[in-house]
Amino acid sequence: MRRLMPVILAALTAGFVTASVNAHAVWFAQRAKQTALIYGVGADDLDTVKRFSLIEKMTGYDANYQPIKATPRIAGPIVLVDTEQQPTLLSVVFFNGIWSRGGNGEFEKKGRDEMPNATLSEKNYKYSVAIMGPLDKPIPPLPDQALQIVPTGPIPKMLGQKLTYKVLYQGKPVAGAKVINDLINDPDAKPLLTGADGTVTMPVRNQGLNVIHAVFNAPTDNPKRYDQIENTATLSFVLEHAPE
Amino acid sequence: MIFRSLPGGIPMKPYIYAALIAAAAITCQPALAHGSTQPKHGGVVSMSGETLFELVHAPSGVQLYVMDDEDPVNAADMTAQLTIDTAGATRNVVLKSAAGNRFDGPALALKPGAKVGVLVIDKTSQAHIGTTFTIK
Repeated sequence: MRRLMPVILAALTAGFVTASVNAHAVWFAQRAKQTALIYGVGADDLDTVKRFSLIEKMTGYDANYQPIKATPRIAGPIVLVDTEQQPTLLSVVFFNGIWSRGGNGEFEKKGRDEMPNATLSEKNYKYSVAIMGPLDKPIPPLPDQALQIVPTGPIPKMLGQKLTYKVLYQGKPVAGAKVINDLINDPDAKPLLTGADGTVTMPVRNQGLNVIHAVFNAPTDNPKRYDQIENTATLSFVLEHAPE
Repeated sequence: MIFRSLPGGIPMKPYIYAALIAAAAITCQPALAHGSTQPKHGGVVSMSGETLFELVHAPSGVQLYVMDDEDPVNAADMTAQLTIDTAGATRNVVLKSAAGNRFDGPALALKPGAKVGVLVIDKTSQAHIGTTFTIK
């Protein structure tokens, strides 16, 4: 067993490193009464300002899901979102670059062309949609969201009630996406896999901010640089607390 | 589990203990309150965090009142806009700053089910705060 310990520790370390890279996501949340874009995982609200240039596109949508202007703005240590009118949805596309995992299990921001012995090279895109207002109709596939989580029914008013989500890849339901229902408070939860119809059903976990998280790996479109395209998507919404 | 006794030496049974804890929790809630959520001008209210929006829809026009943590904002320091969605049609209405924390706009035909988005922007800080009313 003693001989195996270094191997086990190395494997565990590699697993943690892998998980930490894969688990990071972007989502929208309230900060100081305003809407902010967050990059992180769990309770880690990381440096989005440093990653500001990775924000490829941000869009708001009105109640009819027509696009409206939404602009990220650096405000001190955080990134806020300015819209030209009160949005019903917000979305963002965040390109997190190309990463490769070396033999030590650690990721470096390089492609396979720069790390030919990498055990994995991947291109990382992160998508997010926030529900900011009441919904009259189902959320459609949004053109800029290659991976998207949509609720298939009304958002419950109370936590604990089940909600079915559909995960879309390129606008179509995708099977095998890994989904957890609370990226903030339970980021290490065992993910559920979407079924053939792209759906997964889970209880809504929080009477507050809910951030659902999905991961789906797509085939590479540039095998010389990366082996796969890792897409992560979040869907955030808030259940109101009781009147005070 | 140890349960203490009530004054006078009356034994405290578990359910009394639980009831007291529950009562304490209920009486603690007002300390967490963001303030009044009641309309003061006959309109409808919507909260966004600690910001209260009151929308008054009158035949003579629409008024919006904004309170921030119980304090009236200074409307002159802000811009305000409504986004009205009725049966799939959306239009924006820019409100004018009026006295105190009030913003004024034209009369609006708001039918039940219409959604009225409100966006208030602080001219100095550029803080955007908003909410959405659903007209009943």
